[in-house]
Amino acid sequence: MAETTVFKGRAARAEVRVRKRHPFLEDFASTFRAFMSNKIALVGFVIVLIYIGFTIADLTYPYYLGVHNINNINSFNPGGYAAAIPTPPFVLPPSHLKGAPSWWFWLGTTEFQDPILPIMLAALKVDIVYSFIIVGSGLVIGILLGSISGFLGGYVDEVLMRITDIFFSIPSLVLAIAFIYVLAQRGFSGLDSLVFALIVIWWPTYARLTRGVTLSVKNMKFIEASIASGATRLGIVFKHVIPNVLSPSLVQLSLDLGSIVLILAALDFINLPIISPFVPELGRMIYNGEQYLVSGIWWPVTIPGLFLLLFTVSVNLMGDGLRDVLDPKLRG
Amino acid sequence: MNPGQDEYYVRVENLVTRFFTSKGIVKAIDDVSFAVKKGEIFGLVGESGCGKSVTASSIMDLIPDPPGRILSGKIYIDGFNILSDLQKLVTIKIKNETNVKIKRHKRYLKRHNLVLSKIRGKKVAMIFQEPFLALNPVLTVGDQIMESILLHERIEIANAIIRRETMGVDDIRAFTEQMLKLTDAEERKKAINNWVRNFGVSEIERSVIDLFDNQKDPEIIVREIMRLVQEERTGINVRNMARARDYYKMQDQLFSLNLKLIDAESRAEAEVMDIQQQLNNLMVEFIKSKGEEKEQIGKRIKELRSQLRQKRKQVDRTAIKQLRKEISSLRRKMNISFMGYRVKRVLLRKRMDKPFRVEARRRALELLQLVNIAEPTRVIDSYPHELSGGMQQRVMIAMALASEPKMLIADEPTTALDVTTQAQILDLIKELRRVTESSVLFITHDLAVIAEMCDRVGVMYAGNLVEEATTEELFFNARHPYTQGLLQSIPKLPANGTKFQKLQSIPGSVPNLIYPPAGCRFHPRCPYKMDICEKEKPRLIDVSKGHKVACWLYPEGGVIK
Amino acid sequence: MELRFYIIRRALILIPTFLGLTVLMFILFSLIPEQLLIAPYLSIHQTLPRAYVVHQATILLGLNLPLPLRYFKYVWNMFHGNLGVMNLPGYPSSVAQAIAISFPNTLQLAIFSTILAVVIAIPLGTYIGARPNSVADQTGRIFSLSGYAMPAFWLGLLLQIGLGRNVIPGNPVGIFPIQGSVPDVAVAPPWFNNGFTYPTHIPIIDALIHQDWSFAYGAFMHLVLPTLTLTYGILAGVLRFVRAGMVDSARQEFVKTARAKGVPEREVIKKHIRKNALIPTITVMGLLLAGLLGGVVVVEEVFDYPGIGLLSVLSATTYQVYGVIGTTLVFGIILMVANLIVDVLYALVDPRIRY
Repeated sequence: MAETTVFKGRAARAEVRVRKRHPFLEDFASTFRAFMSNKIALVGFVIVLIYIGFTIADLTYPYYLGVHNINNINSFNPGGYAAAIPTPPFVLPPSHLKGAPSWWFWLGTTEFQDPILPIMLAALKVDIVYSFIIVGSGLVIGILLGSISGFLGGYVDEVLMRITDIFFSIPSLVLAIAFIYVLAQRGFSGLDSLVFALIVIWWPTYARLTRGVTLSVKNMKFIEASIASGATRLGIVFKHVIPNVLSPSLVQLSLDLGSIVLILAALDFINLPIISPFVPELGRMIYNGEQYLVSGIWWPVTIPGLFLLLFTVSVNLMGDGLRDVLDPKLRG
Repeated sequence: MNPGQDEYYVRVENLVTRFFTSKGIVKAIDDVSFAVKKGEIFGLVGESGCGKSVTASSIMDLIPDPPGRILSGKIYIDGFNILSDLQKLVTIKIKNETNVKIKRHKRYLKRHNLVLSKIRGKKVAMIFQEPFLALNPVLTVGDQIMESILLHERIEIANAIIRRETMGVDDIRAFTEQMLKLTDAEERKKAINNWVRNFGVSEIERSVIDLFDNQKDPEIIVREIMRLVQEERTGINVRNMARARDYYKMQDQLFSLNLKLIDAESRAEAEVMDIQQQLNNLMVEFIKSKGEEKEQIGKRIKELRSQLRQKRKQVDRTAIKQLRKEISSLRRKMNISFMGYRVKRVLLRKRMDKPFRVEARRRALELLQLVNIAEPTRVIDSYPHELSGGMQQRVMIAMALASEPKMLIADEPTTALDVTTQAQILDLIKELRRVTESSVLFITHDLAVIAEMCDRVGVMYAGNLVEEATTEELFFNARHPYTQGLLQSIPKLPANGTKFQKLQSIPGSVPNLIYPPAGCRFHPRCPYKMDICEKEKPRLIDVSKGHKVACWLYPEGGVIK
Repeated sequence: MELRFYIIRRALILIPTFLGLTVLMFILFSLIPEQLLIAPYLSIHQTLPRAYVVHQATILLGLNLPLPLRYFKYVWNMFHGNLGVMNLPGYPSSVAQAIAISFPNTLQLAIFSTILAVVIAIPLGTYIGARPNSVADQTGRIFSLSGYAMPAFWLGLLLQIGLGRNVIPGNPVGIFPIQGSVPDVAVAPPWFNNGFTYPTHIPIIDALIHQDWSFAYGAFMHLVLPTLTLTYGILAGVLRFVRAGMVDSARQEFVKTARAKGVPEREVIKKHIRKNALIPTITVMGLLLAGLLGGVVVVEEVFDYPGIGLLSVLSATTYQVYGVIGTTLVFGIILMVANLIVDVLYALVDPRIRY
């Protein structure tokens, strides 16, 4: 057995079959499947979809609630100042609106006999649409500034870091209050100032995120090669930075959706004078219901709260599930 | 269980380790058997993924659970089979590759781990591949070395301290006389080293050595040593130390009783199993036979059945019960008489530990010197990230040697280091083996290292041991096609200016261990494949003295090729 | 040695951030129309001639100066303890003083909540982290999730309903007061005046110092519900990270080394895994603290607890300019200091960071 043998044979002639692959789609498909297998996240996702479904219904066909002006709680029950005591769930108030569908009263009414259930559904619009706007704008601005700062580096980068530091060193709620207050003095109306203030508060998170991704992309060797062969920096941003920043942003986004809704509710709850008390909003509903606690009337407070809690829990479940699916991919 | 009688310190027999993952059952180790002699360096070589690291982890039962488990086999460490109670630990129901139900029996697992924690580190120690990752980043290096010492050496330390405090002139005189009889400086050094260790006065070792080198008058020597010892004494309360020592001794007793219990249990069970097996065989025959035979077999079955019942009752009545009783009474005694000590320990933990820590630190410094670290006092208080790779690996070795284990498992210790450091570490390991006379299980994928370090080698492929021989025999006379392929793939410089040859490699790749090839796992890549290779797995058999191969080219009783 | 340098370095970085904070506050400040800036002074000094007050206020605020100089005036005022005036019933007219009174209450609340949360979360997280995918783990996860998602104000209201005194008649567990921070006593104790308690200004501690047990008990009872509300959120956050940290650390190689040395399992968990698991936990504490302060605002509002959060809300709802800006500024400072403390803790736990 001392002679050397050359290894030939079937193994050496193994064929290499090449198939056309679509890495991006495959990736997406497998991510999707992984997400679907996480039952709990799926539940969250479905619930969030339901909420969003209501919102879309509200936006496209506001009359499904049988109401003429959704931005005004009173339009549910115009002139309903008759009795100032809330009625319990499943009970029709004595002076209920003619022709109002009975399902409105399944969850009781507020102190002005406004039915809680439809108001909550209408409130969804405010919360969800506005938080989408806020997060979306914050995302875009953040990505823009973050990639610029990451790419240019040096002085610009330092300045951006300090700016984001400043924003991070003040609690969002507090800063929001201050911002809204100031903006209101300058004449911005209610919810608009709210949205603007929150956008300003939110973009640093995404800017930081993008900056991190940009830096790590920048340090990869093939970037030098790309630039040397003529790729523009903008091109690199689109081709490399954006795909990599999408996953963590998506996770952050889904979690932020919940946070912003909570902040909106909190701001309404403390009765910030800027926001009109007639816009349907969950926090305001709870605020209005607070005064009846001592008389043992619990539903104007607990029911909107539960509704809100259900939403934020679902959003968090979904976000967690997303993170579980996307994160290990990042780690490779 | 006969410690000290075997020439093999560690014996692995029919080890089967599997990993239960979501993608299937990985048959990582498939009936592997080998043994490591006392004082030898045994190499385990193979490609990545062939199971050598898993084997190493299995020896100390360090397989992470989930997802892995040792399913069967015996592993004898210093005569004791640590897998004696393996069957009692878990119950596994396998429905198919991805559907496996594992039920863990907590009480037995706890006892098993308790026993093992005394064996790990003390009888066998392990060093790992990436020293940076294998060291805890938030603890100092000294802390981690001392941890090992404080776990296993407390009784010794306590005794050393007691001896130091109670040493009398006569002891010193006897020692001096002994020393003066030794004329060889080396021997004397060794003996002095031993003595200062046992008497807890390591600090004065240097002075004592000088003393014996320069002085001849025994009286002066005795007086001088007495003086030095007095300086070292800390006036510690000897009774407390003795109490602590007794406590630890009792713990040790408990441990060895548990060992005996496990052994007895497993032996009794083996007997029951035996009869059960006979019974089963008979049952099969019973079904097959007819008529008169059937009657006879039926009678035999009845006999066996009653034997079984008897044996089962015996199992409860024999040494096992006795041992169990002993254990619980010892426990009770411990709890009662040492209650005060225990309470004190909880309240005054730091103060009571202090003398131990002082001595442990001293030993740690010694260990660091032993592994050729230049400034032990600086390194001992450093964190792992402050040291270079070579130093980190030395620290790991020091940590492993802290309790003077008789076997060291080195899992690719030099793969992560550069070549010069690698050479230093390998030299260090060889030197340590010479000094401590312990065995080493050296795992690597680098044949060159094997050639340099090992006395014997085992070649692994896809979870099987395919060849085992002395290093020389393996390199010059490899029998298994895989080994031959490995050796061939080493690039060689051609002699006499002939052209360079093309690099040879073994075509194909390592098989998927969830669905491994049937029969011999190497057959898809083997140039000598025969029909039988696809059907049956070859067993490891001797082809010449000390040289074993598992290949159908060498069936039992004859060589084909 | 390195630790000290590290602390100094972190502290130095705070300075530009602090300056940036003042700039931000100033920007907001300057966006406010002049009349609103002067109005509070007018309402405070009703007895003085109007023109005089306007004149003095203009000089004080530097409204006659160009913008950059106004910034310096603003910072100058800030360092001299002049954060403006406000007109809130029950509070002194100086914003700085009002903040000074309210601060200890908030401190008391925040510290107790954080300590309670950490003391529960670490052992609990260790226990859960050592048993991944067990029943305890699932429960812990659900709990963490609810903590993140829970609207703090709503939880506060629920606690008021459930455990609050005089809310639901005949409620057997309704024993906790739902408003304020100090019990109603007919005669204020001598060490309690002007809204301050002496010497530490923290009501519960001062009561204990003065051995006024009933007062201390009352103060304690007032603390219970707000603390529970806050603790819920912090606990959820910390628990989640301790658990994740434990699971991550357990996978590291050095855990195997420890087991190979023969370290008993319980000690492996406590000494090796947990110590490393605390590192990511502390990292996240900074973020949690920001959320905590936001929660403080809302919780103080729900419980009428006289801290800075309540002050902030009251200022906002009653259009007190200086109150809003001042409290925001102070919140920023608090958070910066808190982050510094967290950074120091982090360096203490992880020796790799000290360079």
